[in-house]
Amino acid sequence: MATARYDRLIDDLRSEYRPQREWAEGRGLFLVIGHFLVGVAAGTWLMGLLYGVIEALIVAFALACLGGLAHLAFLGRPERAWKMMTRTASSWIARGFWGLSLFLAGGFLCLVPELWTGAPWSANSALSMAGYGLAFAGMVVLIVYMGFVYTSSKAIPFWNSPLHPVLYIAYACRGGTAALIIVMTASSRPIETGSALLEVWMAITAVVAVLWLLELQSAATGGNTAARRSVRELLAGRVALYFYGGILVIGLAVPAVLVAGIAAPLSQATLAAIGLASVVGDFFMKYSSIRAGIYLPLRTHHE
Amino acid sequence: MVIDLKRCIGCYGCQLSCKAEHGTPPGVLFARVLKREEGQYPTVRQIFLPVLCNHCEDAPCIDVCPTGASFRWEEDGIVDIDHDKCVGCRACMMGCPYNNRYFNEERLDYFHDAGATPYEEARTMRHQDGVVMKCNFCRDRVRAGKEPACVANCPTVARYFGDLDDPTSEVSRLIKERDGFTLHPEVGTGPAVYYLPQ
Amino acid sequence: MNLIRPGEKQETSPKPSDDVWLPSSCSLCYGTCSILAHRVDGVVVKIEGNPDSAVGKGRLCGKGVSGLMSHYDPHRLKKPLRRTNPDKGIGIDPGWKEISWDEALDEIAGHLRRIHEDDPRKLTVQRTTTVTSGRSPFQSFAAGFGTPNISTAGGGLHCGNGAHLISGIMHASWSIVPDFEYCNYAIYFGASKGHGAGHASCSNMGKAADARAGGMKMVVVDPMCNFASAKATEWVPLRVGTDAALALAMCNVMVNELGVYDAPYLKAKTNAPYLIGPDGLYVRDAETDAPLVWDSAAGQARPFGDADAEDMALEGSFEVQGVACRPAFEILRQHLEQFTPDWAEEISTIPAADVRRLGTEFATEARIGSTIVIDGVTLPYRPAAAIAFRGSQGHMNSVYNLLAIDLLNQLVGSADMVGGCLGFNPACHGHPDTGRPYYVPHPDKDGLMIAGMWMGYLYPYPIHEPALPEKTGLQDLFVLGMTSPFLSSTDAEELWQKFDLPYRPAMLINHGCNLMMSIANKETVAEALKKYEFIVSFDLLLTETSDFVDIVLPDCDYLESVDSRSNFPFIFSLPGGMGEWCWPIRQPVVEPDGEQRRFADVLADLAERAGFGPDYNAALNAGLDLQPPYRLAPDRKYRSEEVCDAELKSKFGDERGYEWFKEHGLIKWPKKPQEVYWRHFEPVRVPIYWEWMPTVRDKMNAITEPRGITMPEEYYRPLPDWLPCASHTCKTDGFDLTAFYYRDSVHTNSYTMENPWLDEAARLDPYSYAIAINAKTGRAKGLTDGQPIALETETGRRVTGRVRLTEAIHPEGVGIAALCGHWSDGMPVAKGKGVFFNDLLELNWDRCSPANINLDLCVRVRVGPAEKTSS
Ligand SMILES: Nc1nc2c(c(=O)[nH]1)N[C@H]1C(S)=C(S)[C@@H](COP(=O)(O)OP(=O)(O)OC[C@H]3O[C@@H](n4cnc5c(=O)[nH]c(N)nc54)[C@H](O)[C@@H]3O)O[C@H]1N2
Ligand SMILES: Nc1nc2c(c(=O)[nH]1)N[C@H]1C(S)=C(S)[C@@H](COP(=O)(O)OP(=O)(O)OC[C@H]3O[C@@H](n4cnc5c(=O)[nH]c(N)nc54)[C@H](O)[C@@H]3O)O[C@H]1N2
Ligand code: SF4
Ligand code: SF4
Ligand code: SF4
Ligand code: SF4
Ligand code: SF4
Ligand SMILES: [Mo]
Repeated sequence: MATARYDRLIDDLRSEYRPQREWAEGRGLFLVIGHFLVGVAAGTWLMGLLYGVIEALIVAFALACLGGLAHLAFLGRPERAWKMMTRTASSWIARGFWGLSLFLAGGFLCLVPELWTGAPWSANSALSMAGYGLAFAGMVVLIVYMGFVYTSSKAIPFWNSPLHPVLYIAYACRGGTAALIIVMTASSRPIETGSALLEVWMAITAVVAVLWLLELQSAATGGNTAARRSVRELLAGRVALYFYGGILVIGLAVPAVLVAGIAAPLSQATLAAIGLASVVGDFFMKYSSIRAGIYLPLRTHHE
Repeated sequence: MVIDLKRCIGCYGCQLSCKAEHGTPPGVLFARVLKREEGQYPTVRQIFLPVLCNHCEDAPCIDVCPTGASFRWEEDGIVDIDHDKCVGCRACMMGCPYNNRYFNEERLDYFHDAGATPYEEARTMRHQDGVVMKCNFCRDRVRAGKEPACVANCPTVARYFGDLDDPTSEVSRLIKERDGFTLHPEVGTGPAVYYLPQ
Repeated sequence: MNLIRPGEKQETSPKPSDDVWLPSSCSLCYGTCSILAHRVDGVVVKIEGNPDSAVGKGRLCGKGVSGLMSHYDPHRLKKPLRRTNPDKGIGIDPGWKEISWDEALDEIAGHLRRIHEDDPRKLTVQRTTTVTSGRSPFQSFAAGFGTPNISTAGGGLHCGNGAHLISGIMHASWSIVPDFEYCNYAIYFGASKGHGAGHASCSNMGKAADARAGGMKMVVVDPMCNFASAKATEWVPLRVGTDAALALAMCNVMVNELGVYDAPYLKAKTNAPYLIGPDGLYVRDAETDAPLVWDSAAGQARPFGDADAEDMALEGSFEVQGVACRPAFEILRQHLEQFTPDWAEEISTIPAADVRRLGTEFATEARIGSTIVIDGVTLPYRPAAAIAFRGSQGHMNSVYNLLAIDLLNQLVGSADMVGGCLGFNPACHGHPDTGRPYYVPHPDKDGLMIAGMWMGYLYPYPIHEPALPEKTGLQDLFVLGMTSPFLSSTDAEELWQKFDLPYRPAMLINHGCNLMMSIANKETVAEALKKYEFIVSFDLLLTETSDFVDIVLPDCDYLESVDSRSNFPFIFSLPGGMGEWCWPIRQPVVEPDGEQRRFADVLADLAERAGFGPDYNAALNAGLDLQPPYRLAPDRKYRSEEVCDAELKSKFGDERGYEWFKEHGLIKWPKKPQEVYWRHFEPVRVPIYWEWMPTVRDKMNAITEPRGITMPEEYYRPLPDWLPCASHTCKTDGFDLTAFYYRDSVHTNSYTMENPWLDEAARLDPYSYAIAINAKTGRAKGLTDGQPIALETETGRRVTGRVRLTEAIHPEGVGIAALCGHWSDGMPVAKGKGVFFNDLLELNWDRCSPANINLDLCVRVRVGPAEKTSS
């Protein structure tokens, strides 16, 4: 096993366009899962607040906890994770770490009295209110920071695009909406609320799709060969399967078909399926764009 | 540091003397030598490009590091990693536009199943796993008044080490006289490793 | 997993009790650079170059710095092994059983005694060229035992039969190199000197870089743009094996088109003015038998020693003693006329215009007539050098290829002159205190040069009398051959019968040499090895060759051994040119971790046990040139340290024995221009006309013709020509490419693939483990980069590997790096890596030069896709 990883590294180092694997493969997969979960969590919290759905907040909190664990599993030295608080001045990851910490702490403070009547502080207490505040702040950070983590990765031209942060914000919203749809159907709320949400979902999805197209287009036509290579990986390379299958089919085509009502009339189950497909699609969107990362090749300017 | 591409013969001496100096684990290569071809038969040329950490003036690897494990020494400007602080998040690997950082994920011995050699016991095992590693310009050697290992050993004397801030130093002079250039200047990192053209 | 490792504590632990840097010598290739080994608490933790030494000047190549990983290879042998399975063959498990040293030595000594009584010539002693310290002990062992059969298997046969012969006859040295310090224009014919491999490899890397930085132009003639070509001012791709065509046409351009040559040099330093009669032989003085020259001042022919060089005629026709004769140069000049640039283009694919330009550049850059002052001595300044080695020599036409190339140097007078083509240190006047070692080239009765120092007992010149062979390699018949293919060739037995070899080889003592891989295809060598009754091998690892061995002895490696003469003879791996004489030693820096013993000690032990200890000591006395009172006494066994001590004291005086050298590592003293540019001072001439060649052939034919072999006339002419290899005459459909190999700078022959650091570097390299084919050619054949392909020969041999489509190779060439493709389980890191080029080579009379029995190393192949194989 260890040897296989070594062998692959050697192959990678030899290839002109070295693929980024640290953040997507092996233990790196936990980072994608972590980012995905935390992103959806933040979005869900937002939508939960907007629509006043307490179950959504609970789900968001749970997802964030799982996301945090996934992050720990990703780290080489999880026992030192707390050290990641130190460099907020320049590091988006440090900011994200604060965001998650605030979110979890705040979420804990405001959710405990909501769920457990015997809690030492009440739902209306200042502590709980502060919790809402903290969680909200954490949520904002979480929604915003993630895209910047990628944009500030100067080694991977494909991610450097300024669209990335916007895209990640849109992701969070789409994920949150989808999650809310699922939560709503699971808690058997009237189908109309679901349908209304669906429209929001469709609008955000449209935004995401446009952003994606713009990003692919600018990477494909921009000067950087590594970025172009990434687009190739997505469209016809190592990650094409996830791109077409995960993003296009599961994330777009399936929900689209369901929305159009071709497969079945809009029911609780259909709504849930749309939400689920959207969420899975989101995962693959992140997964494939992360995996498509290709390092800037080393060359002299004399060539 | 200055690397003279006219002198370099792509012998891997730097890559291997660095390995010998630091006992880096398999797949961790603070110094590397890249080879590529330029032109078409018969007017083709093989180009050897030795690379290592550029100890960038505006180092993206430091910016993205959440823990401060990646840092710059005040007194000499060397970009280094404090392995006791590093959490192994690999953000710096995504930040370094020069591919000069390596994640030492888990312990690996060069002879695999046969276990660690006495040399590896003595040297390689000093390194932590779960952290990111890279060239530190052989800071211990430099502080002891020696040249970095790859510089001291280069059989063609293609590598020079000195103070870029001192305009009278040999490195500054070479860069000026021979039109020294850096890799990926467009990224704006301000590398401290210069190359002299073929 | 995340705990702090025991090793980490070392930083804080109290200063180790054992912390030393010891001077010694590298042995990862035969360059034997000087090293400093850092030992801490009994573990060698670093190897660096020794800045005190002229050999490497404190810098090591990538292999040298990686030596620790070879040293600490957990697969190193630690105990003597004996086979239990009598069946020998490729892939057949010998069933190794550990035995004690006593058991092993007794058994070996028993065989030695038996053979010694029967016929000592039945013993073959063989060693790898990689470990230079093996030379004196093994040669002495063979001499002491009484066998003439010393072999280096693929070594020498691949790299030296032509190269060492021509370097020896023309430069009194093992090899040649540009005088980097002063050279302005070097043309390389298939050599990487200063860029990847070759003699004094690492030292030359620095010298060549200085030369490049100083503006030396370098033209590299090579089918592949690899190491030297990459740094060249100009890469001249040529069809494999056609070097003589280019060199001869360049000579023609210089002499006949431009009329440029160094007449004073040719008159004084070569046999160019010697008069040649209609029979092609020297016209000799009736009285003294000395070759005659035409003395223009006297208007008559005179013995070469009687006339002033400047008065000797180079051109014209004369009548002497009633025969029409011409100076050798006149014959050469006319001989060259046939080699037009167009002719050369046809053969080599190098455009005629380029051939002409190269000839013109070489002639111009040599600055004939100019002088320079070095250390107060005025010397001819000829800053142009033509250099050759393994690439151009590995062919049927080995002798002429190298001779034609050296003619370039001879014609412009740059041989061993300032800035020209130097032999490696052919003359040494010794250390100022002792005058030792002392050797200089000197003339034979015809005025031609005899080398002052050589690597074996048989000097390349004067050419020996062909005789019915007594050696299994038949070199006493094929007198231009040095190393022989006939110890392992398919037709060895047939040839032995033909030439009435009175015995057959029965026992082999091998030191390191991995001949299963290093000569040619493995099946042929396996058959030869199987025929030995008993094989002993000193090894570090179980190699492919070990599978055929009866007893394997675990050797000490270079960090555990002693050698008194790391870089002696200086004609081999001491850097050439001005600078310093430098005599480093090897000393052990660690004790072996098992039962390994030093081969030199084991040989002494075996000689004693087998009853020829006194003869062994006598041979060491002669081989090491030990002076009284340091000569070894016949009646006792000496340990390697003692022999080392004796040689050092003998050379450098009583106070500078082994103990002194252990501390200082080396002794050095400055070179004098009279030594480096000896040719200007020594009264020796070299042959631009090989007068003896037809005679040698006649004498050989007298022996071979009655046995059905006629030596082909075209290989035995006094003047060089271009002659084709089998690859050039192949017309079979589909077999349209010619495969050749070249050295990788990170690997030494077959040895270093087992070193995981070097293996890592080679795996990162785009070419090391791949088959290089011209991109256009490959695409036309439907190949894609990285695809597994197979190469097949007309004789059905086949190797596979990943293809590397590249612009940097001749369209007809297939380039394969190093000596890879190991299959032994004893070398698990190496196993399965790279491409085993030699498996394509046939090993028989037909593929050897009938002149110097050099093996042809280029081979016609057909290329096609292969089933996916492990790369
Ligand atoms: N394809 C191909 N074939 C070649 C060559 C090539 O480059 N490519 N090179 C050719 C030439 S020019 C030569 S000289 C020959 C060389 O051929 P060999 O003489 O067989 O040399 P190596 O392949 O280097 O093998 C050296 C062996 O010596 C062992 N060894 C190293 N150090 C020690 C030591 O201290 N003690 C002992 N006992 N063993 C030791 C190593 O384990 C290794 O097995 O090969 C020839 N064949
Ligand atoms: N790194 C390293 N150093 C070594 C060794 C090693 O294995 N590795 N081995 C040592 C030994 S034993 C030896 S003999 C020397 C050999 O040292 P070199 O003579 O340098 O050996 P090669 O690289 O085999 O051959 C030199 C060049 O010849 C080219 N060539 C092949 N065929 C032809 C041809 O027909 N014509 C021309 N013009 N060129 C041709 C090859 O592409 C190669 O570039 O190196 C010694 N030093
Ligand atoms: S050691 Fe020197 S010559 Fe060799 S590859 Fe490195 S920089 Fe180039
Ligand atoms: S080269 Fe990379 S690792 Fe080194 S300082 Fe620059 S960005 Fe950081
Ligand atoms: S891996 Fe270590 S050094 Fe790199 S960014 Fe993370 S904490 Fe900093
Ligand atoms: S400066 Fe030191 S650490 Fe950096 S590449 Fe060179 S030898 Fe390695
Ligand atoms: S050239 Fe040969 S002897 Fe010198 S350091 Fe390299 S491997 Fe060792
Ligand atoms: Mo050789």
